[in-house]
Amino acid sequence: MNRGEGSFEVSPLVAAAHELKAPLALMRQLALRLGDETISSAERQRLLQQTILTSERALRLTSDLTKSARLDSALFQLEPINPDQLCRDIVGELQPLFKAYGRSVAVKGRRHPLLLVANRDLLRRILLGFSDNALHYSQPGTAVHLQIQAFKKSGVVRVGVRDFGPALSSDMWRTLQKKLDTAPQAIHARPESSGLGLFIASQFADAMNGRIGAVRHKDGATFYVELQASNQLSFL
Amino acid sequence: MTRVLLVEDDAWLASVEASIISDAGFEVSVAPHAPAAIELVDSFHPEVIVLDVLLAGSTAFALLNELQSYSDTGMVPVILCTNIADQFDAKQLKEYGVKKVVDKTTMYPEDIIAAIRGVL
Repeated sequence: MNRGEGSFEVSPLVAAAHELKAPLALMRQLALRLGDETISSAERQRLLQQTILTSERALRLTSDLTKSARLDSALFQLEPINPDQLCRDIVGELQPLFKAYGRSVAVKGRRHPLLLVANRDLLRRILLGFSDNALHYSQPGTAVHLQIQAFKKSGVVRVGVRDFGPALSSDMWRTLQKKLDTAPQAIHARPESSGLGLFIASQFADAMNGRIGAVRHKDGATFYVELQASNQLSFL
Repeated sequence: MTRVLLVEDDAWLASVEASIISDAGFEVSVAPHAPAAIELVDSFHPEVIVLDVLLAGSTAFALLNELQSYSDTGMVPVILCTNIADQFDAKQLKEYGVKKVVDKTTMYPEDIIAAIRGVL
């Protein structure tokens, strides 16, 4: 999994341990709170749901890590995919988690459908990872948007996840841009991130001949993956 | 009632910790990030700050620097409550006003209360 010198500021193993520490610590605190006999039945149900959703987030990361480690030996079928439909499936999957956090997630689709060339599972994992990141950094009450854009000249389709939260500082943005230019490699998007999620996303994008990137906004950021548009686009 | 400012960007963990602190008889206010914490320092006037280190937007040290810039806020005792407690030397943290470090990965509810009472 290590892509050579300088590709990760800490080893992927350390980064994985760091990334898993937070959900495990949260689950432990939720479980300790559940042990309090004075809490109400409604509170107990809420804590149980939070424990389940937190474990599912952690399990997604472990699944991505396994997939990432086996990328070299695996064969991935690339096929024409409708990103709008995939984004809607992801939104359906993530809705309970976002709702539990007091946030929403929606697709900002295109009027005209288009196709891109990708492996459905890898693209889904990238977008789930970006969405998970967006959930963490978005402000309560805001919506995270999955957006699809086509660039005709370059024949590329961009699928992005836009969050509305604290802006990246200029220093962090410069670091991010520098690292994005030489992706795939570790990208430290935000201070608490080890960069593992984006490292995995860049590996998955690379396996599909694509790339990841980011756009900074005044009120948040968009992390995206760019993939080749499908020739079948012309038949639609 | 002693005022405790809890700075924690994970809403669910913040809710659990706030309940524990509140149940122990403290008045608690929660900030999800450093800018919100700075606003609450001015309006809520906390007597203790329980601070996560890895926050969305900026780290706790940006907030600690801000607090240390003023003589009144610099006096407010800070408890670091973090997943990376093993990376800090409590002696080095003293200059930031940090009185205690609590390890989030191993702490029990009573630990956070003991830490608060210990710095008052």
